[in-house]
Amino acid sequence: MMSETHVHETGARLTLDSQLADLTLVWPWVDALALQYAISDQTKFAVSLCLEEALSNIIRHGHSCMPNHPITVDCAPNGESWLMFIVEDSAPPFAPSESLTPNPAAAPASIEDVTPGGQGIILMRRFADTLAWERLPNGNRLTLGFQIASPALAAS
Amino acid sequence: MQLTIEELDGGITRVILDGRMDIEGAAQVDLKMNVVAGSSQSLLLDLQKVTFLGSMGLRSIVVPSQNVRRRGGKVVLFAPIPLVEEVLKTSNINTLLPIHHELDAALDALK
Repeated sequence: MMSETHVHETGARLTLDSQLADLTLVWPWVDALALQYAISDQTKFAVSLCLEEALSNIIRHGHSCMPNHPITVDCAPNGESWLMFIVEDSAPPFAPSESLTPNPAAAPASIEDVTPGGQGIILMRRFADTLAWERLPNGNRLTLGFQIASPALAAS
Repeated sequence: MQLTIEELDGGITRVILDGRMDIEGAAQVDLKMNVVAGSSQSLLLDLQKVTFLGSMGLRSIVVPSQNVRRRGGKVVLFAPIPLVEEVLKTSNINTLLPIHHELDAALDALK
C-alpha cells in the first residue's frame, strides 16, 4: 500500500545509528516537534510509539543490532493537518505485503502465545493514520502519517 | 522508569510502575520485574503512572506474567491511562491479563 500524500515542505531530520541505544534520541526529537507543531498528547504518544516500533524493528531485524548503518527519519508537515515521517534504512527488504495489510491482532489462546516484543507492526497499524512502505535500491522507506490539529501550522 | 513493590494482604504483590515503558524504561525494570515474578503468586501490576507503553514495554509485562502463571499464579493489570490501555487492547494482552480500574475489583480478581 502506498500513501497518496506527499511531503512538500521543509522539515526536520533525525539520523540514528543502527543500535538500540540510539533510540534514546527519538524522545527529545519528538518532544521538540510536539512543541513546534503543537500536537496533542495523543498524537505525540502515537508518533513516539510508531517511531520506536519502526526503528527498533529495523535495528533488531533489519540490521541484527549491528552498528554503523545510518537510519534517517524525516519529518515534515503536509498541508495544515498532516505530519509525515519518512524512515529510510539500508537494511535487506522488509516484507510489507502481509505485515502492513490491515489485520487486527488475533486473540492469543494463552499468554505463552504472545510473542514478547512482536507487536510492533500491529501497533503501528493501529496508531498511525497512514502507513506505507516502498523498497529502495539499497534499503527501505516507511512513511507514517499522522493527522494533527491545524492552528500551529496555519500560524507558522 | 521507577518500580516500587508493596506486599499486600493475601499474599498479593503490588508492583507500581512509574514512567515511560519504552525500550529504555523496559530495560530499567526487566530484572526487577523478573525477580518479583519469580516469587509471587498474585501479582498486581499498577500501571497508573505509566505514561507510555511500547512493544518492548509489553514484553516487560508479558514475560514475568508468563512466569507467574506457569506456576499457577494470577496477574492483573491495574488502572492504565487510556492510551496505554489502547496499546494493551491492540495487542490483545487484555484477553489474557485482565485490566481493572477499581482497586477492590483488581484485588478480588487475584483471590
